[in-house]
Amino acid sequence: MASFNARITMPAEAKAGEIVEIRVLVRHPMDRGGQVDAEGRIVPRKILNRLTVTYAGEPVFRYDMHTGVSANPFVSFTTRAVETGDLTFEWREDGGATFTRTARLVVT
Amino acid sequence: MSAAGRALAIALLALAGAASAGEIKPGSTFLSAPMQRQQEDEARNPGWLWVEQGEELFSRRDGASPTCVSCHTDPRQGLRGAAARYPQVDAASGKLINLEGRIEQCRVDRQKQPAFGYESQELLGLTAYVASLSKGVPLAVSAEGAAKPFYDTGKAFYERRQGQLNLACTQCHDGLVGQKLRGDTISYGIGTGYPAYRLEWNGLGSLHRRLRACSLGVRATQFDYGSDEYLALELFLAVRAKGLALEAPGLRR
Repeated sequence: MASFNARITMPAEAKAGEIVEIRVLVRHPMDRGGQVDAEGRIVPRKILNRLTVTYAGEPVFRYDMHTGVSANPFVSFTTRAVETGDLTFEWREDGGATFTRTARLVVT
Repeated sequence: MSAAGRALAIALLALAGAASAGEIKPGSTFLSAPMQRQQEDEARNPGWLWVEQGEELFSRRDGASPTCVSCHTDPRQGLRGAAARYPQVDAASGKLINLEGRIEQCRVDRQKQPAFGYESQELLGLTAYVASLSKGVPLAVSAEGAAKPFYDTGKAFYERRQGQLNLACTQCHDGLVGQKLRGDTISYGIGTGYPAYRLEWNGLGSLHRRLRACSLGVRATQFDYGSDEYLALELFLAVRAKGLALEAPGLRR
C-alpha cells in the first residue's frame, strides 16, 4: 500500500498578529468500505477520521472526516500568529493508528 | 443511407482532418480554470505526493547497490530536460524505451535490483519525480533515424480504426477536439501531463494507463503496460506534441 505522506504548506515566519494560511495535503486512499477488490474480498472501511492541529500546545484546528471525503484529502485553514512554536498535525486513522508531523512557525 | 445521413457523414469526414502542428494544445487547456490553478499549485496538486515519494526513492539505498543519486549527483541540473527526450530508441538493445522503461532498466542493469513493475507506486513516484524536473521544458522527441520505424508504427496505430466502435484516435483527437464526450471535453490527446493525477483514479497513473482507458472506451484490445503498441503510440504522440512544455505531474479529470 502507498505510504502515508503529508505536504504542509505554510509560511516559515510571520509577524505577530498576522493571519497565516496553512494548507495540508495528505496521501491516503480513504477507503470508505464495502467495495470489492480484485480477489473478490470486501474492502473494510479505513479512512483518516480526524485531523487535529495544535499550535504551541494549544488546539487551533480540528477536522472530523467521514467516508464522503475524497482520497488524498486537502484542507486549508487559517490561524493567528502569536508566538514562535511548533504546529503539530495529528491524523487518526480507523483502527487507532496515528500519524504526526510538525512544522515550525517563527513569529517576528 | 438518407440524404441527411450522407451530409452528416461528409461533415464528419471534413472535421476529421489532421490537426496541424501549431494548433495542438496540451490537455490542461481543456480543464476548468480552478483545475488549471490546482494543477499549478504544488500545495494542492496531489501529484506532488508521488513526486515526493520519488525524490525519496531517488536517494534511498537498497542493500549494497548504488542509489540513483550516486550517479545522478545533481538531478535538478543533470536530469532537467531528460524526460522531454523520451520515448527514444535505446542504443544498446535497439528497442523503443520510455521514461518508465529507462528507470526500470537503470534499476535492473545498474542497481541490480528487482524491477518495480509498471504502474507500481514506486515506479510512478520515480517517473513523476524525474518528469517534474523537466517541468516547462519543451518536448524534443526525435522521429528520425532509428526511431523512424517506431514513429510510423505509432502513426499507423493512431490513424487505424479499431474496436467495436470502429474509431481511430484521429477521428476524435483531431476531428472533434473541443466537443463533448459524455461529461468531458475532447482534447488533442497529448501526454505532456503524464504521469498525471486523475480524479477518476483517485491517484497517479501513467500515460499507458490512460491509453488503456481509451482503448476500453472504443471497445478495442487493451494492450499491456509498456507494450510495443503503446510505446509506438507514445512516441507518435510525443512527436506530434513537439515543442509543448512538459507539465507533469498533471491534474486530469
